[in-house]
Amino acid sequence: MPNIDLFAWWALSISFSSIFLTLVSIYLFINSKSRRKEDTQKKASVFRTGKSFVFVFALLGLLVFYIFSIQLGSGVLSESVFTVGNIIVEALLVLYLLRNRETESENK
Amino acid sequence: MLFRQFKNPIFAILVACAAIAGFFGEPDQSIVILLMIVIAVVLGFYNEYKAEKTVQDLRQAVSIKAVVTRDAKSSQIDSKMLVPGDLVSVYVGDLVPADMRIVKLKDLETNEATFTGESFPVEKTAERLDIQNPTPQQLTNYLFMGSAVVHGTAQGIVVSTGKRTKLGAISGSLTRTHPETEFQKGVKSYGNMLLSLTIVLAISIFSLNAAIGHDLVWSLTFSLAIAVGLVPELMPAIVTISLSQGARRMSNVKVIVKRLVSIEDFGNMNVLCTDKTGTLTEGKIALKDVYPLGEEKDHKLLTYSLLCNAAVIGDNIVGNPMDVAIWEYAKQINAQGDAEPYRKLDEVPFDYQRRMMSVVVRKNGEFALISKGAPESVFSRCKYADVSGRIELITDVQKAINEKFYSLSELGYRILAVAFRNVESKTSYSVEDEKDLTLLGFLIFTDPPKKDAHDAFDKLNDMGVAVKILTGDNELVAQTICEDLKIPIKKVVVGSDLMQMNWNEIKAVVEETTIFARVTPEQKLDIIKALKANKNVVGFLGDGVNDAPALYEADVGISVDTAVDVAKEAADIVLLEKDLLVLANGINEGRKIFGNTMKYILMGTSSNFGNMFSAAAASVFLPFEPMLASQILFMNLLYDISNMTLPTDNVDDEYVKSPKRWDMSFVRKYTLFFGPFSSLYDFLTFGIMLFIFGASAAALPGATDAVKLHAQSLFQAGWFVESFWTEVLVMFVIRTRRIPFFTSRPGKWLALLTLSCVAFGTILPFTILGSFMGFAPLPPEYWLLLVLMVATYLVLVDAGKVFFYKICKY
Repeated sequence: MPNIDLFAWWALSISFSSIFLTLVSIYLFINSKSRRKEDTQKKASVFRTGKSFVFVFALLGLLVFYIFSIQLGSGVLSESVFTVGNIIVEALLVLYLLRNRETESENK
Repeated sequence: MLFRQFKNPIFAILVACAAIAGFFGEPDQSIVILLMIVIAVVLGFYNEYKAEKTVQDLRQAVSIKAVVTRDAKSSQIDSKMLVPGDLVSVYVGDLVPADMRIVKLKDLETNEATFTGESFPVEKTAERLDIQNPTPQQLTNYLFMGSAVVHGTAQGIVVSTGKRTKLGAISGSLTRTHPETEFQKGVKSYGNMLLSLTIVLAISIFSLNAAIGHDLVWSLTFSLAIAVGLVPELMPAIVTISLSQGARRMSNVKVIVKRLVSIEDFGNMNVLCTDKTGTLTEGKIALKDVYPLGEEKDHKLLTYSLLCNAAVIGDNIVGNPMDVAIWEYAKQINAQGDAEPYRKLDEVPFDYQRRMMSVVVRKNGEFALISKGAPESVFSRCKYADVSGRIELITDVQKAINEKFYSLSELGYRILAVAFRNVESKTSYSVEDEKDLTLLGFLIFTDPPKKDAHDAFDKLNDMGVAVKILTGDNELVAQTICEDLKIPIKKVVVGSDLMQMNWNEIKAVVEETTIFARVTPEQKLDIIKALKANKNVVGFLGDGVNDAPALYEADVGISVDTAVDVAKEAADIVLLEKDLLVLANGINEGRKIFGNTMKYILMGTSSNFGNMFSAAAASVFLPFEPMLASQILFMNLLYDISNMTLPTDNVDDEYVKSPKRWDMSFVRKYTLFFGPFSSLYDFLTFGIMLFIFGASAAALPGATDAVKLHAQSLFQAGWFVESFWTEVLVMFVIRTRRIPFFTSRPGKWLALLTLSCVAFGTILPFTILGSFMGFAPLPPEYWLLLVLMVATYLVLVDAGKVFFYKICKY
């Protein structure tokens, strides 16, 4: 088990940067919506909004996963968990990106 | 130039860091920081030197010509080939090519604002002056290099050239300043943003570290290092490289950049104002025919046109294209000899207010004043008309004359009128003598429409550049040419209409008008000002002497190699060929340069902020420095070197499709959004180094100095490598909106240098230099985790990028 004070500081810092990024994303999204309101009355569905935020969900998922795997400390287990977890998240993100880019080009 | 590098305030901070480190017993740190300074200075100096040389080379491609008479033969030569004793002729629009003593002149006025700052024209004389110790302003019988001829003509003997001229002696302190470009304004506001953020962050870090009990000197050095780490030291060098390399590429497409900073605005302009000659037409003016007023054709009209002519006849015929065309026509029909029996006595030179010129000639003891110019100007000075040898009152035949003039104009011809009157012999003639003339007829000039003008128009339109025609010609000619070329005309406005409008009406009308006809130089200036007031980035393409104010006023002044000297001097960009397609290619290059410069600014700021934010946070909870000042600086330097080839990177087609503007709010959003990505993975690395690779041992009670030092070196090496990998490799993701590598490939030099730098950064902890810098070798497991982590980071940033560009349009 790692040094608890240092670990707590570390977990707090990494969580802060992730949450900060999430808040910035929400701010930019709301900001863009309010700017576009005048141009279009088209309302975005909850599903569409949620889809836009896939990367934020991935980010928060990664945060939890990173804290969990680092908390395991040194050793083969933590390294294996870290490796497998990263590969899975990466694969999911690549799939999302490919599909999302397809939708974008269809929209054009 | 070398000294200029040290003026950068960043170096003052760096020197302070080195001094503090050296003073408090860390000579290694001090040496490394000083080494960074030397490398940054050398790189900055080398690149600025190269950029300046590029500009000088390019400027040589746009040389100024002079009409010189040697051995009684007139010819046009490069003004640099002039030597004292040469007899040189100057005309309206010329820049005086050397200091000269005037020997002969006619109504000569020059603008000597370059020397005196006084833009009011100075009247010159050929008389001898008796003044003791005269100032240059008092030497009115001299012409000084760099002054512009605004009225009249003269001949002078060259007395000094180059650096020996008055201008040569004082050059450097006297340059006309252009207004700040959009790009310069953008970079300035970016600098201000960077400065305020740096100050806030540095003060906060120092206060926080001091408050939690860290050593004061350590806190100061570390906060200074963070401050320096935030600033992209080599940004001026990279922007300079980007611009100078771009200027060189642009010269390959016949676009010569005289002022590097104008490249960005050139690419970003969304309105181009131009005349029609050479852009819509071939610019090859030919005299198609002479039209006397009656049915019978005689040679009098042509002979008088040859006499009332400012072309210089030597080995080649040089001068105003219409005057040259008259001589070429006469040569074709073997009529040039008709002018020989006449002796030219005096000349009233052309000016843009009268739009005509006159000469006085003598033949067989009879004197005649002949005038030639814009039909409206000549008509207003005519009392009679010569109809097949019969002299009639012009009022009696006005209707027929007007009908003929309009019918020819509608066919797209450019027309000059010729008139004359017999005069008494006197010593000198002036504008007042241009009255009670007898109209002889018209000269009809053709300038065929350019075959590719329609394509060029379409191309510029597709690139988001609206083209507006500003011409002194009448609206019928301009409209006919546009119709022939199938160029869509939204609206035509004539100069007299503009005169009736107030400022708000002008601002509204300039947006929807395609052709501005019969406009004066002042109105051209108003049109450009109105377009700029409407937040357009305005380019102006002009080549006449009256175009100089508009060339200065426009965001981008564009001229052509064949333009008059003052126009070339006022321009930021000179086209070696007056062609809208050449211009379009240049704009394309300009947009690529802007795109690559923005890549560096956006990526550098985001990564730097992310890294420095992580370092600041880590300094609070870590028992040691997360990275030494020298390590931060070294990483910055290595990162900047990896970006040296960024100007050669490929730019996606969709990026150059439309003009871009410097948008500070976009830069802020970008930094705010992409900065935390880098921080997140920095913190992850901290976790890995502390809790997987045991760097947290430094915080254990009772840890020896050796354990602490190793833990610290390992941590710093681990973060240095991760931070450098993420900072550099993310560029491949951020540089395009497409799928990195698959649908958008980076430039080969960029890829090569970047990957070489990554390789260097990777092996650094295993080298002597790495150990000197305080790094420990990293364990093999680290590299597996690093590869996975960086791969996830890049994919996550790519996902973030899709989100970002969906909501933040740029």
